[in-house]
Amino acid sequence: MHRSSFARAFGLVMACALVGSVAACSSGSGGGSDGKVSITVQGMPPKSDPASRKAFLDRVAAFEKANPKITIKPTDATWDAQTFTAKLAGGSAETVITAPLTEPQGLIARRQVKDLTADLKAWPQYNEYNSKLLAPTKDAATGKVYGLTAPIGTYSMGLVYNRALFAKAGLDPDKPPTTWEEVRQAAKAIHDKTGQVGYAETTTNNTGGWHLTSYTYSRGGTMEKRQGDKYVPAFTGKATTDALQLLHDMRFVDNSMGSNQLQSQMDVQRRFAAGQIGMYTDGPNAVGPIVQQYGGRLKDFGAGALPQDGGNATQLGGSVVMVTARATAAQTSAAVKWILAEYLKPAYDPKEAAKRDKMTSADPKILIGVPRVASFSEQAQQKVNAARKPYVNVPLGNFQPYVDGNAELKLLTEPPVAAQKVYAALDPVVQAVLTKKNADPAALLDKAAQQVSSDLERGQ
Amino acid sequence: MSSLDVRTGPRGGAVRKTETVAHHAPPRNARRRLRNDLVALAFLLPALFCFGYFAWWPLVRGLELSFQQTNLVDPAQWVGLSNFQHVLDDPMLATAVKNTLLFAGLALVIGFPLPLLLAVQMSTLRRLAGLYRYLVYLPVMLPPVVGVLLWQMFYDPDHGLFNKVLGLVGLGPYPWLQSTHSAMLSLVLESTWAGMGSATLIYLAALTRVPPELYEAAETDGARIWRRMWHITLPQLRGTVLLLLLMQLIGTLQVFAEPYLMTDGGPENATVTVLLLIYRYAFIDGDYGAASAMSLLLAAALSLLSAVYLWSTRRWSSS
Repeated sequence: MHRSSFARAFGLVMACALVGSVAACSSGSGGGSDGKVSITVQGMPPKSDPASRKAFLDRVAAFEKANPKITIKPTDATWDAQTFTAKLAGGSAETVITAPLTEPQGLIARRQVKDLTADLKAWPQYNEYNSKLLAPTKDAATGKVYGLTAPIGTYSMGLVYNRALFAKAGLDPDKPPTTWEEVRQAAKAIHDKTGQVGYAETTTNNTGGWHLTSYTYSRGGTMEKRQGDKYVPAFTGKATTDALQLLHDMRFVDNSMGSNQLQSQMDVQRRFAAGQIGMYTDGPNAVGPIVQQYGGRLKDFGAGALPQDGGNATQLGGSVVMVTARATAAQTSAAVKWILAEYLKPAYDPKEAAKRDKMTSADPKILIGVPRVASFSEQAQQKVNAARKPYVNVPLGNFQPYVDGNAELKLLTEPPVAAQKVYAALDPVVQAVLTKKNADPAALLDKAAQQVSSDLERGQ
Repeated sequence: MSSLDVRTGPRGGAVRKTETVAHHAPPRNARRRLRNDLVALAFLLPALFCFGYFAWWPLVRGLELSFQQTNLVDPAQWVGLSNFQHVLDDPMLATAVKNTLLFAGLALVIGFPLPLLLAVQMSTLRRLAGLYRYLVYLPVMLPPVVGVLLWQMFYDPDHGLFNKVLGLVGLGPYPWLQSTHSAMLSLVLESTWAGMGSATLIYLAALTRVPPELYEAAETDGARIWRRMWHITLPQLRGTVLLLLLMQLIGTLQVFAEPYLMTDGGPENATVTVLLLIYRYAFIDGDYGAASAMSLLLAAALSLLSAVYLWSTRRWSSS
């Protein structure tokens, strides 16, 4: 090879390497000297849902028109715990993200999201916002607020049930069980008369511990308690033990829970849609995946409030909207503006709520009218509900037991410290009582409490 | 140092020959060689860059992260051995190590001999050999997630294929994944099914190198199939067997997809493996320091295992 050939080859390689490096290193600053700011936002519906996607892009255009100095770059990415930190480290995480309610406390502890307190306190509706919904996105130690619970997916845990199986089993589909003892009887009736699983439990991906938390609340217990200036495990009491004993008895005494006890939430929803499960614990918005994703029948779906045994309480569920830590001050303010317009306004402004539903109703497959937890006052929620009424396409009667029952219940949030660790330690406990006839709930809980103590210590 | 060092290789004779030629070569030839080498290096650079950036750099970063506490946004804090202390104090570590060893042991007993037996059997086939090779390799072509989810349905205690079929002959129902006693075995069976195709093809290729006269002589002497396998096949394939054994050990000690997708470590932590624990540190707890520390410990254990294995089998593999 001649010298010139060598030089060309070497030059080409170095140019490729340089271009690659520059491309890898470049990331938009998101702000300019002219006061313009650009933010990326999650939440754009996928191409498979063209009506919702168009409606979303129309709202982006309207927002940009109303805020000419803000440019919105939407993505159809959703929360993914496996890629989030890598994206954040590489500068490609969206400015505005949505995440399940189980995530914000970890994100706050790891300082991966922005403190929004100042921007949110300047929001005129801030003081009317349901303070319960702030708990998941608040740092209990400092009182700083890092995000808002997204009204569209906010729910409280309840009892999801198959109305057709209820009817077949001789039970009244309009009167689902309201106590755990009634759940036991209904589950036995469903199993005995239809051959299907009466009551199903999720036990993997930390959902066993998550559900056990709801059961404990419904029996007046708590998962963590303050001792001095620290939180310690509190799930070794009667409430949690009784909840586990009931599951064990339904599984091994009544035989009403089937044999498959290693199930994720998706597994249970899929089997529920197929008509193989009579009841399980979930929010009313489970109707979305059950009907749209797994092909369940809408008319068979029923939702009641979380059954009780002295606690008169249920657990908050849903998703949160937050701003990632790499956002500049200008981007943070722009992101909060977007969050309030996109997520919060339809929850208190009846006109905006109706407008959204009108746009969304272009696609009849999208379910409108599933009950949510009120993000503002009950009066404001009723006004919003009235405005949305013309577009509602779900049978509201199927959700009435949930609405009526919830009015009586306190809304409690997740354990304040290392909730995921608590759930992870309790998954095996729930699995044990459902797979071992001689399982001892009290001993299993003691062991889990010992295991989780150091995690709680480390998390404070 | 002369430019000839670039060519230094394991074959001393060849290098000496090159050196001899190079020492007596005119300077112009040496320059040409140098230029050729640099050109080769230039063409190699993109591959080196990609390999370094996407494989070696992450390894170095992992090593660094294991001594840090970081959210990957703010500057990391050096925490010394605290991450190692944390993972070594984790009560789940002993369970995960025990489960991982159990998986590797069961996979060795069930999964390792099967491809060899299949290959020997298939090598004797005269008709439809291609079809059998295709059928054996088919599971390898399936995406691992699809295979795992398929078997998860087969294992369903109420509606699964296995209990239905076994029920026809009066067996079962068995709890498969639902019992702490059978969950790990169930994962090994799926893993064996999914992975044996590759090993079988490698053994089949190796078997073509065994001289057929050896078998003919043995048959003439009246040796049955097991004796032929023991005295001819295994000694002839020992290099391949040793290599595949090491690869299997390293692979099974890093088992992740099966417990992650099928059982999430349950029931009662009976299938929590070391890699699943690392996954939980990183993606459930967001503790990349602990995840890196545990990864480093696993890598060190696997390196040690490989070294001991190679040392202890060096005589057999070279004889």
